[in-house]
Amino acid sequence: MAKTYDYLFKLLLIGDSGVGKTSILFRFSEDAFNISFISTIGIDFKIRTIDLDGKKVKLQIWDTAGQERFRTITTAYYRGSMGIMLVYDVTNEKSFENIKNWIRNIEENASADVEKMILGNKCDLDSKRQVSKERGEQLAVEYQIKFIETSAKDSVNVENAFYTLARDIKAKMEKKQEASNPPGARGGTHQLKATDQQRKPTSWLSRCSIL
Amino acid sequence: MSCSSTEDLPEQYKELFTQDGVLLKACIGRPISDLNSIGMLCIVQNPDSTKCIEWRPNDLITIDSDTQDQEWAVVNTIGRRQRTLSGNMTSDYAAARARIVKIPLDELKTFKVARNSQQMQFSTKPGIWQNTFYFQHGNAEVFVSQLKNHLKTAKTRHDRNTYVVVEPNTESQVLNRSFAELDIFTENTTDVVWGLVSNFKQRPYETTMEAFSKLTDIVYYGNEGLNGQRDVSDEVADLLTKSMSALEDSTSVTKTEGYEVISVKPTLPPRPCIPRGTPLSTEKWEGLQDTDGRILEVEGVKQLIFRGGVAHSIRHSVWKYLLDYYPWNATHADIRKIQKKKTEEYFSMKLQWRSITEKQESRFSEYRERKSLVEKDVNRTDRTHPFFAGDNNPNLMVLQDILMTYAMYNFDLGYVQGMSDILAPLLLLLGNEVDSFWCFAGFMEKILSNFDIDQAGMKQQLLNLQQLLTFAVPDLAKHLATKDSENMYFCFRWLLVWFKREFSFSDIMRLWEVLWTGLPCANFHLLICVAILDAEKDVLISGDYGFTEILKHVNDLSMCLDIDKILSTAEGIYHQLISAPHLSDQIRIILGIPTASNKNPEDPSDTDIPEQENGKPESREMEEVTLEYNGLQISVVTKTVWALLA
Ligand SMILES: Nc1nc2c(ncn2[C@@H]2O[C@H](COP(=O)(O)OP(=O)(O)OP(=O)(O)O)[C@@H](O)[C@H]2O)c(=O)[nH]1
Ligand SMILES: [Mg+2]
Repeated sequence: MAKTYDYLFKLLLIGDSGVGKTSILFRFSEDAFNISFISTIGIDFKIRTIDLDGKKVKLQIWDTAGQERFRTITTAYYRGSMGIMLVYDVTNEKSFENIKNWIRNIEENASADVEKMILGNKCDLDSKRQVSKERGEQLAVEYQIKFIETSAKDSVNVENAFYTLARDIKAKMEKKQEASNPPGARGGTHQLKATDQQRKPTSWLSRCSIL
Repeated sequence: MSCSSTEDLPEQYKELFTQDGVLLKACIGRPISDLNSIGMLCIVQNPDSTKCIEWRPNDLITIDSDTQDQEWAVVNTIGRRQRTLSGNMTSDYAAARARIVKIPLDELKTFKVARNSQQMQFSTKPGIWQNTFYFQHGNAEVFVSQLKNHLKTAKTRHDRNTYVVVEPNTESQVLNRSFAELDIFTENTTDVVWGLVSNFKQRPYETTMEAFSKLTDIVYYGNEGLNGQRDVSDEVADLLTKSMSALEDSTSVTKTEGYEVISVKPTLPPRPCIPRGTPLSTEKWEGLQDTDGRILEVEGVKQLIFRGGVAHSIRHSVWKYLLDYYPWNATHADIRKIQKKKTEEYFSMKLQWRSITEKQESRFSEYRERKSLVEKDVNRTDRTHPFFAGDNNPNLMVLQDILMTYAMYNFDLGYVQGMSDILAPLLLLLGNEVDSFWCFAGFMEKILSNFDIDQAGMKQQLLNLQQLLTFAVPDLAKHLATKDSENMYFCFRWLLVWFKREFSFSDIMRLWEVLWTGLPCANFHLLICVAILDAEKDVLISGDYGFTEILKHVNDLSMCLDIDKILSTAEGIYHQLISAPHLSDQIRIILGIPTASNKNPEDPSDTDIPEQENGKPESREMEEVTLEYNGLQISVVTKTVWALLA
C-alpha cells in the first residue's frame, strides 16, 4: 500500500464561464493550450503530483462549469476542498465584478478555512484589457487573498499560482498539526489518506490533526 | 385488435391459473417446429374434475379486450377474464390444437425448477423429462406455488430444485394444508400477493381465513418499497380486514414436514438480446409517402427508426418530421407553405436583435452578456470538426445567429450552455440556417426542462435515473449509495446535452433520431444511461471505485462507447422492466406506462397515453401491431418482443 505521494490536496477552480478555468488546468496538467477548447458541462478533475520542499504533493484539481445555472450541481463538489482558485478574465469586466459573488458562494459551500487565491487570467491580451492589475490587487487586499495575473495561453504564472496555493495549504496544515501534536509526540505520519478525503464537509484541517 | 367472438368455454372447464410468456423448449414426441414457440402455461380443471397442466401456443389464444394485464394474469374463473378461442382461426384451429401440451396432474411424478428459476421441467415417467418450459416473464416460482395448491410435494434430498409429487391432489388435502408456503409473502412481491388473493377468492371463505391473516401483514406493511401505491381492490381489502380481526392471533404458521418454503425474490426476467435493425432506407421512406407527400403509417415509420435509425442520405428530410418542423400529414404543397411562413418568421426574429445598434448595445448590459456568452460557446463548439474548424469559419457565424435568434424566440430561457452542442449536429446535417433553427427549436421543446433556471428538470431526471437503476441494476445502485454517488451527478453531462459529448457525430445522430421517436416508452434516454452504467458495473464494483473514481471513469467513457450495443441493451432493459412481476408504480410512472392500480399517471399531460374513463389505456395501446422487418416479426414496442427470440 505504498503511496506515491505524501499529501493529497483537493483544489477547485471557479469563476465565470469562459474566463479560462479549463485552459489554466490544461496548461498546468498538460503544459499545453488549446484555442478550440470545449466548454465544461458538469464537472471534471485532473491530477498532477508536484514536489514541494522534498514532499510529494498530489494535487487533485476540480474544474467546474461556470454558468450560474449549473451552480446547484457544481457546489456539491466544493466539499472537502482545501484550496480554491477564483478566476476572472482581465478582458471581461463582468467576470471581475462577479468574483465577489464567487467568494460569497465559497463561504456558503466550502469549509471556512479553505485557502483561496484570485487569478486574473488572459493577461496576454493587453489590448483588450478591461480590468487593470491594480484593481485586481486592490480586491485581493480587500479580501486578504493572494492575487496573481496569469495567461494560460502564454504559460505565464500558472505553475507559480498552483505552487503558491499548494505551499500555503501545506504550511497551514503543518502549523495546525504542530499545534495539536506537541513536537515530541510527532511521528512521521504526515500522510493524508488518499480516499474519502474529499467527502466529509467538516474542515480538512481538523481531520488532518486526527491523522 | 381483431376482436374474437366471445364464446364462453364450457362451464366445467376451468382455467385455475395461467401464466403468459412461456416458451416450449422441449417436448418429447413433438416436431422441432413446435418448439421454441411462445404460449401460455395453465393449470386447468377438466369437466370430470381432474386437473392438468396445459401449455397452449399463443396463436391459439386471443385475449379478451379487457384483459389488459399482460403479466401474471390470474384467471378468475368467476370473473370476466377468460381466454377464449378465436373464432376466425378455424382453418388453423385443428393444427394449433394439436400443438397443445397436456400433463395430467395425477400422472405427474416430478418437476424441477432450474436456470435461475426460469425453466421448469415435468416428468410423468421416472428418469425422463418430457417437457421443458422457459418462463420469459419473470420466473417459475409463482407457477410452482400455484401448482402446489393442487399437489402434495416433497423436495428430494439431493436436489433442492426437484419436487416429487407425493400424493395426487384432492380438494380436501389442499385445503387442509398448513399454509406454510405463504412464507413467500415475506418478499415485496405484490403481484404474487395479488395473484394469490385472486385465486383464494375462488375458494370457500373459511379455508382462506388463515391465509389472509398472514396476508394482511404483507398487504399493509410489506410493500413500502413500492410506495404503497398499489391498490388491492376494495372487495379484497374488505375480506382482509375481516379476516384480520377474526384471526388476529393466529399468525404463526407451522412448517409441516414435507412442505418447503418457497421464497420469491423479486428478480428481473432475463434480458432479451434484441438485434438492431438497418436504417430506414430511401426506398422505404419514399414508399411510405402518398402521392401528395403525406407520410402514412407514422407509427410504423417511428418503429423502423427506433429499430435502425435513418439512412444518412434522407436524414435531412426525416429529421424535420421527427423534430416537429413538418407535420407528418403535410402534403408537398403544405410543406412549401410552411417553409415560406417559417422562413419569414425566422428572419423577422433575427432582425429584432440584428437591428440593435452598437450604441443601444452599450446601454443594454443583459443583451451584451447574452451575446458574449453565446460567442464564447460558439468558439468552443466542435472546433475539431472540419465543418466548424479554422479561424473566421462562416459556419460559426450561422451557429451564433441561430442561437441569438433562439434567444429572441424564447426570451425567458435565453442562452444556456449546452445549447450550442445541441445545435451543432443539426446545422452540420441540414446546412440551412432556417431549417436548422426550426429543428433546433423542436429539439429544445423536447428537452426544455434540462435548462430550467433552478435545474429542477435535471434534478428530477437524475432522481428518476437513480430509481430506474435501483430497480434494474440494484447492486450497482447500492454500490453508488455507499460511495456518496447516489445523486448521479456524474451523469449530468450525459443528460444535459443528450450524450452529445459522449459520441462521435455519426453516432450521436443515430442516438438522437432513435430517441426522438419517443419509443418504446417515456424517458428512454434514462434507460440509455442505465445501459451504459450496467456495462461498467463490474469495473465500478469490483474495483471498489469511490466518489472520484466513479466520476473519472464515467467522464472517460466519452468516445469509447458502442452506440448499437447500448441501444440494444437499453431496449433489453426496457423489456426486462416491463415484464418484471414486481414492477412498481414508481417505475411505471417514469416510463409513462399505466400504473398497476390503473390510476391516471400523476400528470397526464406528461404522458401521451390515452385514457378511457375507467382509466384503462385505449385499445391502441394494446394493439398487436406487427411489422415485418428484415424477415423478423416485430411487435409494437410497448409490448414485449419475445417473438424475436423464438
Ligand atoms: N488569449 C487567451 N485566451 C485564453 C486564455 N485562457 C483561456 N482562453 C480562451 O478563453 C476561452 C475560454 O476558456 P476556457 O478554459 O474554456 O474557459 P472556462 O473558464 O473553462 O469556461 P467554462 O468551462 O464555460 O466555465 C477559450 O476560447 C480559450 O481559448 C488565455 O490565457 N489567453
Ligand atoms: Mg471549462
